[in-house]
Amino acid sequence: MNLASRRKLRLRLRDLAAASAYAAVALSGAMPVWVSVLFALSFIVALLGFRPLAGLRTGAVLVLLALAVILFGLAFRGALNLVVAAVAFASLVTAHRMLAAPEPATDRQVLLASLLLIAGAAALSGEIWYAACLLAFGVFACLTLGLGVVEGPVERDEDLPLRPVLRQVSVGVALALAGGVAFFILFPRISWNVAARRATPPLLGGTTGMTDRVRLGGGGSIKTSARVVARATLDPDPGVDHLERYWVGRHFDTFDGQEWRGSGVPGAPKVYAGLSPLIPGTQVQRIELLPAYESRTLIGLAQPLAFSQAQALSTAGSTTALMVIVKGEEVHFATPGNAYRYVAFTFGGDIPAGRLDEDERARALALPEHLDPRVAQLAERVAGTDGDPRSVARKLEGWLKNNLGYTLELAGEGDAPLSHFLFDRRAGHCEHFATALAVLLRTRGIPSRVVGGFFGGERVGERYVVRAGDAHAWVEAWIDGRGWITLDATPEAGRSNQPIAALARLIDLYESLEEYWRKRVVDYSLIDQVGFVRDLVQPPRGQRTDDAHPEATGGTVPFRQVLGALAAVVLTWLVWRGLSRRLAQRPHPATSFLTEVERRLSRAHIARQDGEGLEELSRRLSSRRHPAAATLQRVTRRYLEARFGARPLPSAERRALLHSLERELSPRNSRAQEPGPS
Amino acid sequence: MASWRERLRQWMKPPRTLKVTRAGRTYLVLTVGIGLGALNTGNNLLYLVLGFLLAVIVLSGVLSERAIRDVRVRRLLPDGAFAGEPFPLRYEVTRTRGQAFALEVSEADSALKGSGWIPYVAQGRPEVVRADVVAPRRGPLKLTGVRITTLFPFGLFEKTRTALLADGLVIFPRRGFSCEPPGSADALHQGDSSTGRHRDGAGDLLGLRELEPGEDARRVHWKKSAAAAQLLKVEREREDRPQYTLSVTEREGDALERACEETAALTRRLLEDGAEVGLLAHGRKIRPGSGPGHEKRVLTALAFLGFDEPRGGHAP
Repeated sequence: MNLASRRKLRLRLRDLAAASAYAAVALSGAMPVWVSVLFALSFIVALLGFRPLAGLRTGAVLVLLALAVILFGLAFRGALNLVVAAVAFASLVTAHRMLAAPEPATDRQVLLASLLLIAGAAALSGEIWYAACLLAFGVFACLTLGLGVVEGPVERDEDLPLRPVLRQVSVGVALALAGGVAFFILFPRISWNVAARRATPPLLGGTTGMTDRVRLGGGGSIKTSARVVARATLDPDPGVDHLERYWVGRHFDTFDGQEWRGSGVPGAPKVYAGLSPLIPGTQVQRIELLPAYESRTLIGLAQPLAFSQAQALSTAGSTTALMVIVKGEEVHFATPGNAYRYVAFTFGGDIPAGRLDEDERARALALPEHLDPRVAQLAERVAGTDGDPRSVARKLEGWLKNNLGYTLELAGEGDAPLSHFLFDRRAGHCEHFATALAVLLRTRGIPSRVVGGFFGGERVGERYVVRAGDAHAWVEAWIDGRGWITLDATPEAGRSNQPIAALARLIDLYESLEEYWRKRVVDYSLIDQVGFVRDLVQPPRGQRTDDAHPEATGGTVPFRQVLGALAAVVLTWLVWRGLSRRLAQRPHPATSFLTEVERRLSRAHIARQDGEGLEELSRRLSSRRHPAAATLQRVTRRYLEARFGARPLPSAERRALLHSLERELSPRNSRAQEPGPS
Repeated sequence: MASWRERLRQWMKPPRTLKVTRAGRTYLVLTVGIGLGALNTGNNLLYLVLGFLLAVIVLSGVLSERAIRDVRVRRLLPDGAFAGEPFPLRYEVTRTRGQAFALEVSEADSALKGSGWIPYVAQGRPEVVRADVVAPRRGPLKLTGVRITTLFPFGLFEKTRTALLADGLVIFPRRGFSCEPPGSADALHQGDSSTGRHRDGAGDLLGLRELEPGEDARRVHWKKSAAAAQLLKVEREREDRPQYTLSVTEREGDALERACEETAALTRRLLEDGAEVGLLAHGRKIRPGSGPGHEKRVLTALAFLGFDEPRGGHAP
């Protein structure tokens, strides 16, 4: 392969390595859009073979400096996280170097800046895509370095067989990856946690729709999502493939005709959130809320009694999570994290209860101001003269389930979505059914509220997974003496998730990969290491729980220290740059000596002929027996020795020689011996 | 025979040496930084990156070792070289097993500066590489071995192995500046125009005379001798070229070096001007002569001034 092809291949591989590194950063979703656009443009331009910054060194550096000022200005004002700003700046540096003149030094700069991006992405993202990007970066970067090394210090325009080189480097990359995994497994996990960065939302964002309000008329596309948002191990294990149970998330008791909201008052953060006293026969759930859940609301099988042992997981490790009880509404995490682990306690049957608090009863019976009178008439017609609240509730639930249809297609609901659902379209999704049932119950004097959560649970291995498509809304009605009972008017077909089969399989594959990634990489801990070594030494005695993770405390980014370190780095770089430039620009001492000699000769009107060197001039003066000839010979010899003969000219000797030459060239000594050009 | 100190030094010398390149230093700094970041935050992804970076370091060691192992080198020396001037030194590199990449070949433990670069050596196929090297000073130069260095695979580290390969090279004095014209040719004239010997040249015909006893019979003009019935010798004019005998009286130190350099430069200049040049230095005399071979004799003698001369002459 000739030089041009080799260079093209090397540059392409280098640019791909940089793009892989940036992809790792961009997939975290934390990068400003304009940075991504700039990088993408740079990558495309570089891939097309253009290097527009090759001749614009100073201008390009100034632009980069201006962008750095903007980025760190944003960080200083709090509009951008400092780590994000630093990574964004590294991205711009990478893009800048990609567009610079293609030299071996530029290759190394691009790759080292890309390595910074990879390290930055590790702080920003915990997604499995990071692994793919890291792999791609490793392969491309190693191949680029390998090709650059074989090219040698100076590029030679000669054919070079690249296949053996690429083969050898590829084997090397494979070994490096294997070695990297080995290092990863065995490197002791000791964390200082001096300055850990807080978690950021994952790229794919929340998928559950678990919000603090439920507005009728929203889309129902979530029902087709197969993304796993939670995993749970149940004790005792029911042993069924499909759990078909309600996972309670949030209660909504106030309806204004358009949307439901809660009205609970948050309490103090605690490590234990008790809703009701624990009673015998509770079912224990070890629940893991995955990043796709993207909500801090805890879920538990109906009816949850308490939550405990909560841990917030982030790329910085795991930490104890505090929980806040919002009475009558929800329990949520006070500690931020990408994912959470906790234990929920549930009682499967009805929980003995006394009377409902008056305020709570009033809220659970409140009707919207402009409720369509047909709603109450419908409830009266369905309930008839039945006075038993439980019986009335079942009748209304049955009527809705049997007489109205389930659909995710919603259009033209207008200002009265409930009436539209009940009397016009006569079809809707779970939120419509839940709203209708709750309002109908309230018109009959039965306190009720809408519950948001999940329905279902699919067994995968030893655990049950809850998908985004399992998101569901149903109703709880208060029956004196029985407490809150669960009612669900949504037809059975519309309760669980409804994903496309092929898509579900793909998502399952992705989820299993992600689970492996999270378990084996992101959440890998010292305990896992000990377990690994123990398993190597002796066979495992029993199943190891996945919840045993060391607790760690996180800190905040010490802004001053980071800024100080940054300033120190910039200062060091400036000093180094200045010194190296000064040293590079300083002429050879012998050259400055020659300049001095020439100046003196010129002053004495001794001109050199065209192309005449100092040696020839010296010989010419000797042949004409000029009084300064002998001195000039000495000067010439010392100049040649100092310039080419590795015999430096000390300043004292230099001064003496120049002084001697000046004396010999003085008019008094050189009169009548003037050798003009001939 | 090497002294016991030299042998001890050779014995103590590690079989491989490792040097971190500029890119390698930056890489190591980043690795340490990422390692500290991983330790500080406990971020497993940073541990993963750290693992790869460390693995690359280890792999660099393994692959570079594979590259410089099983490499045989043969050195092809020039007849001589001038100090301070680049001269070609050729190496024949053969890989006895496997392949080698990105090899730099240079002299080990030698004052010679310069190296040759070979991007790829296939198994069993010798590659000849030229290294333009520079010797800083004159004198006999002992070559003990060849350094084989590789930056393969990633250019982060420079691993070197030394192949023992003893040899010698004469470094002539630097061709410096010669300005002062030598003393007049008459003063240093070695030939003697006052004797009859000036008629024993190979130039224009001067005449015939009777061959005297002891004279070279090859100069007899046989036809004229036959006609005259006596042995007649042809006398031809000798081309009298100026002859100079340059002397070096300095015994040591920088003065000797300068004298050698100047004498070498003067020798070249005089020979180019058509003169014959001889040398008188440290009790050794070389008769005036001309031609490239003679210049080399003078230069070799100058190269050895102040050094122990090898047995059997100047040749190393």
